[in-house]
Parts: sequence; structure tokens; C-alpha cells
Amino acid sequence: MTIGQGILLVLALGAFGLALRRGVPTAQRALRETGDTILRVLPLLVAALPMAAFLAELIPPDLAAGWLGPESGLLGIAIASLAGGFIPGGPFVSFPLVLTFLKAGAGGPQMVALITGWAILGFHRVIAWEWPVLGGRFILIRLLASGILPVLAGLIAQALLPMFPHALVRP
Amino acid sequence: MLRLLRRHSSLAIILSIGLVAGSLVWTLHGPEAFRRALGTAWQVFLTVLPALLAGLLLAGSLKQLIPPGALAKWMGAESGWRGLFVATLCGMAMPGGPMAAFPLVLVLAQAGADRGALIAFIVAWALNGFQRVLVWEVPLLGADFALLRFLCGLPLSVIAGVLARRIPLAWTPPGSAAPGARP
Repeated sequence: MTIGQGILLVLALGAFGLALRRGVPTAQRALRETGDTILRVLPLLVAALPMAAFLAELIPPDLAAGWLGPESGLLGIAIASLAGGFIPGGPFVSFPLVLTFLKAGAGGPQMVALITGWAILGFHRVIAWEWPVLGGRFILIRLLASGILPVLAGLIAQALLPMFPHALVRP
Repeated sequence: MLRLLRRHSSLAIILSIGLVAGSLVWTLHGPEAFRRALGTAWQVFLTVLPALLAGLLLAGSLKQLIPPGALAKWMGAESGWRGLFVATLCGMAMPGGPMAAFPLVLVLAQAGADRGALIAFIVAWALNGFQRVLVWEVPLLGADFALLRFLCGLPLSVIAGVLARRIPLAWTPPGSAAPGARP
């Protein structure tokens, strides 16, 4: 178990403890909510992890090292930002893909831009969730306000990368 | 009913991409590569499963503890910079997927949160949600990369909120009163 997972476990038990202090019915509702989400997420996870692994197997390694490599600079950051928007599904798809890219030699700033593009643009999520709930006009305003930010994140990462010498080394 | 349909559409999309990609791997790279990919998927599953279960328990408990009305009061149109910072913090603390986040944004909007705060909330949730960082990013990509990525994303939600307040497009949340009814 990593430090991050330990922190999460402590937070979860703390929050559940607070719910328990509100009374047993509140804690029961929290548990039922948790069970429902597990049942909803597990099929997605079981389908998505092999998909991400297959995609990673298909993507040619020189694509990551060339187009998205450390030498690709601003153009690579821009390509990664846009490409991130087209990654379907949740974190169970995007993070395994990024891991594959990093192992194949992609650059750190480009991968920061890719994750940021997936999180902010995420066209799959926009179409499936944001548009039906909040409407097209809201999406227009949000994309106008945030569409360019993945590139900015990549540029910040380029400036900060010297301070993180271990960022691209896998344990 | 619509929710159910949307949920299964995600599963269908993922399954069909996975089937196509899987058969491509089998034909192009052979059964050995196919098995290797499945092994990788199983490794990732085992890596994230404990954190995922803890994250979902956190999400389920927080939902019982925090009323959305209290949040909206802090994110109103007059909330200025404070509203953007509060929205960023709440977005990062917000656990759960889009099926939970976007309906909450709608509730906040109907309760009077302004668009800058709403957009700061969405960006902070999508980009820097603690649960996602701890469950997925740190175990898979390593703490150093996760910290670098997190720092780069930190200012973005506030920038998006400031820009959103300046965009001259009118918007009223679906299902709320007519435009102008709210001061």
C-alpha cells in the first residue's frame, strides 16, 4: 500500500466515523450509497482495464517518443492537449495509457498536458453528462474559459520539470 | 431511465473499443501479446482496488454529511475571489464520477452559485480531485509525477473561473426561474 492509499483509507474511515456519529441510519445510507457505486463502477472497470491495455499494446512506441517526446516542445504539448480530450472513459483508461506513453519515452510536460486535456476537455464526458445536465450554452462558456488551459499546464510543467528529477523515473 | 441508458452507453462504448482493440492485438501481435496485455490489466486492477474501495466509501460518507445549500451560499455572484477559492477547494474534495458531480453543479447553480464558481468547481474536480489523484495517479505514475501534475493544475481552476465571469454570454441554469428573476 502506498502513502496515498493510506491517506485515503484514513480519510474514508474518518468520514464514515462522522456519519456513524450522526446516527446508525446515516451510516447505513452511506454504506448503501457506497455499495451502489461499487456495483456501478466495477463492470466499467473490468471492461476498461483490458481495453486500455490493448490500446497501449497497439500504440506504436515511436509515436510517444517522437510526436510526444521531450523534444517535441510546444507543438507536442498542443497535440497532447487535444489528444487528451479524445481519450474516452474515466481515470481507469487515461492513467494506464499515460503510464504506457511514459514507459515508451514520452515527455513529462507533454503527459501533463495530456492528462489536463483529458480532464478539462474530455469530450466523451461532455457529451454523455455535461450537455444533458447543464446544456450547450454552459459548455460553450466553460470551454471558452478553460479550453486553452491544458497547453498552459504543459508550459508550467516544462518550467517546473527541473525541480522534479524523479518525476519520469518509475519505481 | 435516461441515467440508466447513459450509464450503459459508456459500458457499450468501452466494450466495443476493447473488443476491436483486443482482436487487433491478437491478429497483429499474436496471442502472446494478448495475454501480456491482460496481465497488465490485472496488475493495474490489483494496484488500485484497495484505494478504489476506500475512495468510494469516502464518497458515500461525504454525500451524507455535506448539504449542497451551504456550499452554494459561499459561491454566490458577489463571492469574488473567495468564491473561486472555495469552489476550487470543494471541487478538489468532491469525490465520485460525473454521475455525481454534474447533478451537484446543477443544484449549486439553482441555489445561486455564480458561473465563475461553478466552472472553477468543475475544473478543480475534473483535474485535481483528491480521490482521483490518490486512487489512480500516485499508485500508477508515482508520487513525483503526480505532485508535478497536481501543481501545474492548481492555478487553472481559478483562471477558468475569472475568465468565465468575463465571457459576455447569458446563461441561466436549466429548471430555474426566468432570467432576471434572481438579482
